[in-house]
Amino acid sequence: MSQGFDREWRLDELLDTASHEKMGPALRELLGGDFAMTDDAGKALWGVPSPEARREPLILELEPVGYLLSHSAPPAALSAARQLMLTLLRSQIRFKMASTLHLESVAEDFESLKREHARLSESEARYKTLSAELEARVRKQVGELEERQQMLYEAEKLASVGQLAAGMAHEINNPLGFVRSNLSTFEKYVAKFAELKSHPGSAAESWQALDLDFIVEDSIDLLHDSAKGMERIARIVADLKAFSNVDRASQEYADLNNCLHEAVSMVEAQMPPGIHFRFDLLPLPSIVCLPGHINQLFFNVIRNAVLAIADSGRPGEVKISSEADDEGIHIRIHDTGVGMTKEQVDHAFEPFYTTRPVGSGVGLGLATARNVVQAHSGRISLDSQPNVGTTVSLFFPTPP
Amino acid sequence: MPESDAQHLTFKLVYYGPAQSGKTTNLLRLHDLLAPELKGEVMTMETKDDRTLFFDLLPLGFRAPSGLLIKFRLFTVPGQVAHDGTRKAVLSRADGVVFVADADRAQETNNGESFQSLAANCARVGLDFEHLPMVVQFNKCDLPGAVPEAEIRERWSAAPWPLVFAVALTGQGVESTFEELLRTVYRNFGQKLELLSQHGLDENAFVAGALGKTP
Repeated sequence: MSQGFDREWRLDELLDTASHEKMGPALRELLGGDFAMTDDAGKALWGVPSPEARREPLILELEPVGYLLSHSAPPAALSAARQLMLTLLRSQIRFKMASTLHLESVAEDFESLKREHARLSESEARYKTLSAELEARVRKQVGELEERQQMLYEAEKLASVGQLAAGMAHEINNPLGFVRSNLSTFEKYVAKFAELKSHPGSAAESWQALDLDFIVEDSIDLLHDSAKGMERIARIVADLKAFSNVDRASQEYADLNNCLHEAVSMVEAQMPPGIHFRFDLLPLPSIVCLPGHINQLFFNVIRNAVLAIADSGRPGEVKISSEADDEGIHIRIHDTGVGMTKEQVDHAFEPFYTTRPVGSGVGLGLATARNVVQAHSGRISLDSQPNVGTTVSLFFPTPP
Repeated sequence: MPESDAQHLTFKLVYYGPAQSGKTTNLLRLHDLLAPELKGEVMTMETKDDRTLFFDLLPLGFRAPSGLLIKFRLFTVPGQVAHDGTRKAVLSRADGVVFVADADRAQETNNGESFQSLAANCARVGLDFEHLPMVVQFNKCDLPGAVPEAEIRERWSAAPWPLVFAVALTGQGVESTFEELLRTVYRNFGQKLELLSQHGLDENAFVAGALGKTP
């Protein structure tokens, strides 16, 4: 038999032992002293069935589920007891069936919910996979775009190398020209000195005749000029080397104040007169960085400041300040130079944007500076007013 | 399959259909009309405003020549849409179904939805809807708004189930609906249960025993 609500219920399922114990004595009393109840197979549920007892069947549906037995009770009394018991059993079976059916339908509803839930979970998982795939595709495409942008940037940088070479050639040609001319003149002067040996007359007269006073004086000037010319060439080569980052260092702890000093000393070596530096440097925590790149960055910004003052044609000051707070390091480089127009500020960080003639700069100074700052997760910004000056603000985060 | 042991064979038959199509009325009339060897009282479960909350149950039975007691337990489901969980539980383990439709034209949608739910619930409780013995009864045929019999027959002509037109309140068609169901049930299970070979029951004797008529 199934365990469903629609099974044919047995008497001992409808009435438990506790109910027998309550009703048994009451019925025995009512039925004159003898009472027993059996199931449909005759097995006693309460009392001891006496062999000569009268038997009344308990029929709920079609067949008896059990019997009431008594030999002391008059037939009418036993029949009345049966009616009483049936009333009780009917209400009992209604309750049992309804509650079991209720449980079954709740279980079925719960199963439906579980099925629905499983279906939803599955569709959610599908969407998750889909969204993950989309994300991966977007990431891949963004990566490709960035790679292409970088390639473009490199290509432009390479193209600029030609431009840079033209500028450098021009810069080097100039001193080279006058050094060569000076050396050729000096060669003639040396020949004059050689004439001294075969010249008639006293040494003093010959010296005078050959005008050697002038030649000695002019030779010294020639050599000084040439030395200066060579120095200029050396400086250009050094700049080139710095720009190309030949001495790229690996990551290390560095104090940015030291980097600022190093950059300033590089700029100072070739600084026009009338410009001076003012420092307002507070102690900074050391940060992990690429000091070579940082030096390059500071050099570019400070050289810009110096050039801006030189362009203004009046004396000026470059003020460099630094300080640290909870978030990181703030550095400001302020000059009192020509300043920049709004349009120039807007384009300042674009690669190859320059206001200078060919040979003076390629327009990569601030672009490189920004690349370096971004590589250190920092920020760089410009604030400028024409004829008043420019302030470059730099920020480098420190680990918390 | 019907439940059985050496002395008993029990068929569970379910009256299914939309709310207030007359399922309980069918059971009450059958109780009045039939006179089989054994007939129990209609057990009506808790109701609210005369609407079935759980189910109704009518037990019938007769004894085959072999001595086998054949019992029929006729159940109704609650028709209201909200009680679908209960409907499913009552429907489970059914050996045959009477679908009681409301012939009123305004009830066509409800009939359709209920029939869909019967098919869906059969699948959920593991009954083979295609091969389940079933009779379709159109009740309340006497109402002025009822769809004409010809139109219904035309519409259901492709369906394999017997159609019966009834007025359950007066008892018209109630007995023939049950008889149709008994015949499909016999054809479906008779052989497997060896009703004829072991118990001496042919289809007519089976039907007559259940209805309490002499064959």
